Amino acid sequence: MTEQVEIAVVGAGPGGLCAALAAAQAGAQVALIDNNRHPGGQYYRQTAREFRGAPSSHQREGAALLQQAIAAGVRIIAETNVWGAFDDKVLALNDGAATTYLQARAIILATGAYDRPVAFPGWTLPGVMTAGAVQTLIKEQRILAGKRFLLAGTGPLQLVLAAELARAGAQVVAVLEGSRVFPRVLQHAGALWNQWERLSEGLSSWLTLARHRIPYRVGWGIVAAEGAAQVEQATIARLDGNWRPIRGSEEKIACDTIALGYGFVPFNTLSRLLGARQEWRPELGGEVPARDAQMQTSAPGVYAVGDCAGIGGAALARVEGQIAGSAAAAQVGHGTADAIPARASALARERRFQRMYAALFTPGVGLYELSQDDTILCRCEEITQAEVRHALALGADTTNEVKLITRGGMGDCQGRMCAHLIAHFIARETGRSVAQVGMLPPRPPIFPIPITALGVTR
Amino acid sequence: MNDRRRISAEAVVIGGGIVGCASAYYLARRGVQVALLEKATIGGEASGRNGGGVRQQCRDRRERPFAIASVKLWEGLQAELGFDIEYVQGGNIRMAANDARMESLRREGAEELEDGLQVELWDRDELRRRAPYLGDVFIGAKYCATDGTANPILTTKAFGWAAQRLGATILTRTEAVSIGVEGARVASVTGRDQDGEIVVEAPWVINAAGPWSAALSRAIGVEIPVEPARSVIAITQRCAPLFREFISSHDLGVYARQAREGQVHVGGTNVPPHTFDQRAPADVLEHLARGAAQMIPALRGANFLRSWAGTLEMTPDKVPILGYVDRVKGYILATGFSGHGFCLGPIAGKLVSELVVDGAPSLSLHEVRFSRFG
Repeated sequence: MTEQVEIAVVGAGPGGLCAALAAAQAGAQVALIDNNRHPGGQYYRQTAREFRGAPSSHQREGAALLQQAIAAGVRIIAETNVWGAFDDKVLALNDGAATTYLQARAIILATGAYDRPVAFPGWTLPGVMTAGAVQTLIKEQRILAGKRFLLAGTGPLQLVLAAELARAGAQVVAVLEGSRVFPRVLQHAGALWNQWERLSEGLSSWLTLARHRIPYRVGWGIVAAEGAAQVEQATIARLDGNWRPIRGSEEKIACDTIALGYGFVPFNTLSRLLGARQEWRPELGGEVPARDAQMQTSAPGVYAVGDCAGIGGAALARVEGQIAGSAAAAQVGHGTADAIPARASALARERRFQRMYAALFTPGVGLYELSQDDTILCRCEEITQAEVRHALALGADTTNEVKLITRGGMGDCQGRMCAHLIAHFIARETGRSVAQVGMLPPRPPIFPIPITALGVTR
Repeated sequence: MNDRRRISAEAVVIGGGIVGCASAYYLARRGVQVALLEKATIGGEASGRNGGGVRQQCRDRRERPFAIASVKLWEGLQAELGFDIEYVQGGNIRMAANDARMESLRREGAEELEDGLQVELWDRDELRRRAPYLGDVFIGAKYCATDGTANPILTTKAFGWAAQRLGATILTRTEAVSIGVEGARVASVTGRDQDGEIVVEAPWVINAAGPWSAALSRAIGVEIPVEPARSVIAITQRCAPLFREFISSHDLGVYARQAREGQVHVGGTNVPPHTFDQRAPADVLEHLARGAAQMIPALRGANFLRSWAGTLEMTPDKVPILGYVDRVKGYILATGFSGHGFCLGPIAGKLVSELVVDGAPSLSLHEVRFSRFG
């Protein structure tokens, strides 16, 4: 069965919520689809309703935005995956029990991003996690993933996570910041103007770190994780300007959990499936859809906002969402897309911040050179770097060709974890750019779906 | 850039699918200096996207001897190509869900035995005993023990690598754009790659370009009656070992095999014609899911992980075209495999090499001749 809707918004984080709200306020009929139990995405992630306790300011803001959207008439479709996109803007939805189809006149993609995978010796040991996973467990389930945390990565979100962990009673043995951020941040001081909320949040996290005497080591990074059955210690090192470990600077540090926060990779699979032209933009996290001023991709009527179109954080996602929501509503005959001029200065401000963030916190090439030949690059299929190297010797020179020969990228993560790792390795070995080496083509279903749910139509 | 390079060879193959790569391999093995032009990558189209079945049973009678001869080659292929192509002779089960289907399997089985192919007919009880994982919709089946499966991508690539080791020139990302004819004989193939044009001069041209063979040939006045068709396969996440046979049901319209790593590949027996579109439509994926769950009830607990589609080239009678073209000397067609090219690829390649080297093939090509379409 195919239902019709004027505008379908995929992803209910800050960008998707704002897009849905703007479109509904303009008079459009809007469906907002999200795969979590509670809309809000990672930024507004809500604590499971079985827990009591005061919500954080982000959680309050997210809940309020959701209430506004519902009041404006947005239909919320929660706990539902969008597993495919077909001709004539038909989205395939699955709630675990059945597949339904939603045909929209305009689609706004706000599917966010996922943590950038990093491969180094020991990265598949239990206890090595992404910062996002550690944070989700705290925010939603109030679970501490370990007792002694090492945070390795880049960017201010690490400070936020360290503060959350410390407040929750965990020991944080160190926060490693890969970027030599302090001299360079001064060059970008202008971009911090009017970012008081962010600065105050940063300051508050910083003070929590100081209070708990958590070492913040700038210009340091993870090199290896070690342990018998799980992480027992990490090898860390000072990094040079390209994020390559400086020989002789290594130190061992005891910990049971390593949270990797090396930024994010845009989740662009749906825009690719919908035929939107993509660009390789390392400063935006990787491959992203090209867009016009209305956030429309090269696929007519398909918009993309927030991190799925380039890492920029919640505030930029909100502004882009408002613009796209308003533009999409106008496209289907409601309103006049007045959000675009109205939000121009906010957009410019957030883009300035995005550029600063990218300049300071985009990892250098050294991050992708930590893996050794016996390091696994594709963990679903357990494909090592040596096997990828062998495929290159057989003549493969793209990520897809390596996949076909080695199975690397054919596993359950659909390449979300390994494609970047393999692509960077091929690029480094062949002297070609990551853009030339390419990502993997989308292959629906883009999330594993039960056969019975696909065969059964409600 | 050098925009018109020339190389010469004794034979030039168009198309880096299994038929083209096997042709290059067997030609090179016979000492022929061969070049192969492939528009993208080796095994990137239907040869690397098919169900991986290596089947002799349930063939058109004209095609049957080729399948039987090909399986003889398959049996030695792994050792010969020096690569693990995951070939297993796990058998092939064609199920019947109704009496009419069972009756036609019975007739076909009699003919196959007559032609020297060992098959068994199973009634409902035998089917339950031999394949307890199958759903109870089936009333019987026909089984061929020497049929099997292999990894389509790796087999095709292994042929390409083996040909290369024997001295074949494999030009990937090089699209054949025209066939040169001088007098009544082929003289060259012009390809285009990122650096411009490349002319491969050769007295023999083998057109193994599958769905793309017709357009190339039309320009020299040889109309090949092939139509593109889309074949879709969906694959589950890894499952515990369930079955080793290649199984199919034309009543349900699905086939399946379980790969070595445990994923179950599920494909459809009907292929919609007249399209080069390689996107998998939702209704086809639903059909595969319903068929899979009915055919193998244990899959009701499994997830589909991924799907893909490939383009087959169908002839009007769904039997391949293999052999010389009377009007154009040196022009050999090895196309129109109609979805059977993976199994037939090795024998097709060997026969192509015999056409070039010996002038006479070891198997009669009369039934698969181009001129049957008049």
